[in-house]
Amino acid sequence: MSEDRDDAKIRGDHARALKALRDQYFNDRRRLQARLENLRSKYQTSKSTRLIMSVKDIRFTYVTRVGMFKRFVHCALDGISFGLRKGETLGILGRNGSGKSTLLRLLAGVVDPSSGEVECAPETTRALLTLGLGFRSDLSGSDNAVLSAMLQGSSKDEAVAALPSIKEFSELGSFFEQPVKTYSAGMRSRLGFATAMNTNVDVLLIDEALGAGDAHFRQKATDAMANRIKNSETVVLVSHNGSEVQQLCDRALWLEHGVIRMEGNAQVVGEKYNESAT
Amino acid sequence: MPTKLYRFFSLVNTLAKMELKEEASRFVLRYFWWILEPVILIAIYYLVFEYFLRIGAEEFILFLFVGKIPFLWFTKTVLVASGSIAGNKGLINNIDMPKTLFVYVSVHEALYKQWVVFLVMFGVAVFNGRWPGLNWGWLIPLLAVEYGLILFFSMFSALCVSFVPDIRMLIQMGMIFLMFTSGIFWDVENLPPALRDLVLTWNPLAFIVDAFRQVLIHESVYDRFQLLELAALVIVGLLLIHLLMHKMSRTIAAKVVEA
Repeated sequence: MSEDRDDAKIRGDHARALKALRDQYFNDRRRLQARLENLRSKYQTSKSTRLIMSVKDIRFTYVTRVGMFKRFVHCALDGISFGLRKGETLGILGRNGSGKSTLLRLLAGVVDPSSGEVECAPETTRALLTLGLGFRSDLSGSDNAVLSAMLQGSSKDEAVAALPSIKEFSELGSFFEQPVKTYSAGMRSRLGFATAMNTNVDVLLIDEALGAGDAHFRQKATDAMANRIKNSETVVLVSHNGSEVQQLCDRALWLEHGVIRMEGNAQVVGEKYNESAT
Repeated sequence: MPTKLYRFFSLVNTLAKMELKEEASRFVLRYFWWILEPVILIAIYYLVFEYFLRIGAEEFILFLFVGKIPFLWFTKTVLVASGSIAGNKGLINNIDMPKTLFVYVSVHEALYKQWVVFLVMFGVAVFNGRWPGLNWGWLIPLLAVEYGLILFFSMFSALCVSFVPDIRMLIQMGMIFLMFTSGIFWDVENLPPALRDLVLTWNPLAFIVDAFRQVLIHESVYDRFQLLELAALVIVGLLLIHLLMHKMSRTIAAKVVEA
């Protein structure tokens, strides 16, 4: 009898010890999982906040000769600072003459600021997407597409290989082989947009490119742009349309007379910008 | 680096050919003008010097043509290339690229047209009884050095014009001065020895023009040591100007955009 009791006690002790061990195992597993999740999210955060470009207190002054000894000095940007994070879409809003295109040219490395610094992560490729870059009106759409792609950094083989997709996207049909001087303004814009969208770089700088063509093509252009943005590319988009920036961007800068009037979430900045316009 | 260089020259080649294609598309006779232009030039010389002025000096047309063609290659290219950076404001305003690209495109555009003109020049030499022989091989280093010289002066003038556009006017006048001092209409070999050495030493174009005549008319060889000296100078000059333009790339862009 007493042996049976001892056996039952031992079995009970084993069962309790086993349960305790199991509990401890699950607790440890949960804790480790939580820690792993925490580390993963921290890594993601640090990745997404990694600066790809930073602009430090830049100033840009245009000095134009207007006579033999006369010069016209115009300060286009005055004390601008901000950072561009990898993978984000930054909108730059502003009216004509606010300095947004000048800022884009400084980000593209076309010109140096008069003072201040534009720092770019090493080995970062960047391109300013311009409609109809270097287009020659006596050459065909196809020739111009090759030239434009090569000017944006593609090799000749890459440029030629991209021709069928450019032809299809631009919806030019047989006009693609005709001189650009025979095109309507809309056709020119469509060719320009289709060629420009072919660029593959780390930072894409876009200067009001979405106004290309008719309503149907504008929608197609916006979708293509949204698609590129979704593919986690870093994009800077210049626009004078608050709604466009709200639709496509994460963050926005509002420039006015060469200084930042507002900076932050694209929804908030876009709304305030639109309100100021009405 | 080799890939970058390959892409750069592939772009130069494509841009130059497209420019020529665009230029040809503006004329009814298209590429035919490449041959027609030097042929008309010979016809004019023949009419003016043989019929109107009656300068019946022996083989004067050959002498003039062999001098004028290499000289025109230099002057026409440098004049066009001097405006190549300032004239590409639209591209410079949008892409950060080496400014030497625009100069190379102008120089190569002229180069691709020039081979037809040289063929006509060789034809004139053959017509005057100068048959091609091994001696003509000396034209190859001569053409290479002239190409280098053209490239250097094109870059230097394009750089200057991008800062002060007025310099283009001075270049035009400088070319007229060069024409009278490079022995196009007179033979540098007929000068007194001291003056001849002075001209050939200090005017590289006079040396090149004379060297072409030595090979194609006199069927002899130019001073190879002097050509080597000139080649060394051209290489050093080209290295320095490339370095300078690389350093000043964005300053040039700012100047061109503001102009």
